[in-house]
Amino acid sequence: MVSNLTKYYGNFKALDSVSFAVGKGWIYGYLGPNGAGKTTTIRTMLGLLKPDQGEVQIASVNPTKDPVQALQSVGYAPELPTLQTFFTGMQLLDFMGRMFGLNARDRKEGIKQLLNLVGLKEWGDKKIGKYSKGMVQRLSVALALINDPTVLIMDEPTIGMDPEATAHFRNLFTTLSKQGKTVFISSHLLDEVQRICTHVGMINKGRMVFDGPITQVLEAFTQQWVIEAELKEVTKTIVSALKKLDYVQDVKTEGNKLRIELKEKKDLRGEISSEIFKRKGVLLSLNLHKITLEDAYLRALKGGQ
Amino acid sequence: MSALRRITVIVGYEWRRALAKKSVLTLIILAIAVQSLILALYSRFAVDTMFLTEEVKPFMWILGVLQGQGLFVQLIAIIIAGSTMSEEYEHGTADILLSKPITKVEYLSGKFLGGFSLLALVEALTTVVGVILASWFFGPQNGLQYVPLIFLAIVYSTLIFFCLSFMFSEVLRRSTLTMLIALVILVASSITRQLLVQLYLTTEEYLYFYLSRGIPTWGANYFPSLLMRELMTIPSTVFLNLINDPLIPIEARIRGVSEAILVREALQQAAIIVAVYAIIFILVAVYRLLKSDVTKKTA
Ligand SMILES: Nc1ncnc2c1ncn2[C@@H]1O[C@H](COP(=O)(O)OP(=O)(O)OP(=O)(O)O)[C@@H](O)[C@H]1O
Ligand SMILES: [Mg+2]
Repeated sequence: MVSNLTKYYGNFKALDSVSFAVGKGWIYGYLGPNGAGKTTTIRTMLGLLKPDQGEVQIASVNPTKDPVQALQSVGYAPELPTLQTFFTGMQLLDFMGRMFGLNARDRKEGIKQLLNLVGLKEWGDKKIGKYSKGMVQRLSVALALINDPTVLIMDEPTIGMDPEATAHFRNLFTTLSKQGKTVFISSHLLDEVQRICTHVGMINKGRMVFDGPITQVLEAFTQQWVIEAELKEVTKTIVSALKKLDYVQDVKTEGNKLRIELKEKKDLRGEISSEIFKRKGVLLSLNLHKITLEDAYLRALKGGQ
Repeated sequence: MSALRRITVIVGYEWRRALAKKSVLTLIILAIAVQSLILALYSRFAVDTMFLTEEVKPFMWILGVLQGQGLFVQLIAIIIAGSTMSEEYEHGTADILLSKPITKVEYLSGKFLGGFSLLALVEALTTVVGVILASWFFGPQNGLQYVPLIFLAIVYSTLIFFCLSFMFSEVLRRSTLTMLIALVILVASSITRQLLVQLYLTTEEYLYFYLSRGIPTWGANYFPSLLMRELMTIPSTVFLNLINDPLIPIEARIRGVSEAILVREALQQAAIIVAVYAIIFILVAVYRLLKSDVTKKTA
């Protein structure tokens, strides 16, 4: 879908050879911190920005070359959308329906359903200028769905929504993907991606640092489990004995704390504690530190630096 | 066919967008008010003077149509065109429009035609009002069969400043700046033209004469009245001088040819000049839209 995308803003390289492919029915979470290049990627995918290198294809059509064909079944909800304030919600939905060439009856029905779906039933005939931030965000998702798209691209769609709406929309995205739609969501919230996505792409400073199924993220970045031990007193004998164990990679000391990096992904607290007791150590606390998705994410970001 | 449908959708959108703005509506009302005022003043103070003789009365609609709207029509053109492209960038709405199945050229065409047809509608309105007011103040009018042609000429002549403002709107992507620049160009070219005319009259150097015709305001101002002279004979020089290019009678004397020949020559030049300006301005706008990224929110 996206290959070798490079984009400069003047001299600034915002995207550096970004590539990924998104399959039908996936929910692809495009994860990255502020300024990573998520919005830049999305706007390039839609042909709004011209890539300096590389190519985008949506259902094997390049949107820069043939927007009419490529974007006919794409829905797009921009980041922090600003909509035409002189329209009512219904009028804007109707206008967007026209842009996709929908006939009057389909538009009318679609609009009713969508307003219900995003919880704006009572607001359909009010001017968008009067909407709150979250309401604009909801309408923006409705707009992205007006053409019953097969590909749905959303740039941080749940920003500015209350928790209830956030949950509702997350469910909605899952439902849509179950209907066979491809959903592409950018986010800087790991939690959000973890909850609903089937696949993840991570970007940092314009570079892809991970691309794969959500189940592989942990594996890919979990090189190590770590045991942290707090002792009454750390002695050299204890440290050197621990270092000699064949399942220990390395031991670092910091005051009376030990950081034991393991070679295996196993809970070896029992083994470690008995080893410490043998060397007459007094154990105050012992924690196994698995790498969470959070760590994987942060680690991935470091990798991109 | 389908491209036509997409353009039409944008045209409809552009109408609603422009009419939602109070500044456009205010100007339209103001233009009609000023037009009425001018005709009312003539009917009150000029009747039976040397200027407004019985012979001239049946032609007062010309004054109503041309004089009344002159400056305002250019202003409305600048204001309508000045925001068409830029406001979408400023409001951040360009993204949701251009992420739809439409080519950039179709989008630009729709925007252009939407704005320009709105302007034409305003001009139709002021034309009709001008004719009605003239009949009301000065009795039955002559040569009304030419009203549609004159209307088209007015529409055509406003292309220059409409396209100029449209071009800046896309190139600069800032509405206020665009309108300001277009306004400055309008005023500056008016002044420059006066200077060139004076230079020509004192030096009799033809360079100044042709330069003065190349100035955008010349074509924009005189194309309709030149056509009017080509179509009808109006029995009053005082009246003619009010609406006509003042250089024409002077030229006729200098060159010793009839005004009719000069009028036809000038009409052709004006038609070409308007077209050349319009095409250049539109091409620059198209180039800018095609070659550059869609600006996110700029305001
Ligand atoms: N029009 C622009 N001109 C210059 N630099 C830009 C422009 N747009 C974005 N950038 C820069 O490109 C980088 C990527 O921006 P982008 O908006 O893609 O980030 P993002 O991942 O969407 O961030 P966020 O989570 O804050 O939305 C940033 O460093 C930003 O400053
Ligand atoms: Mg962003």
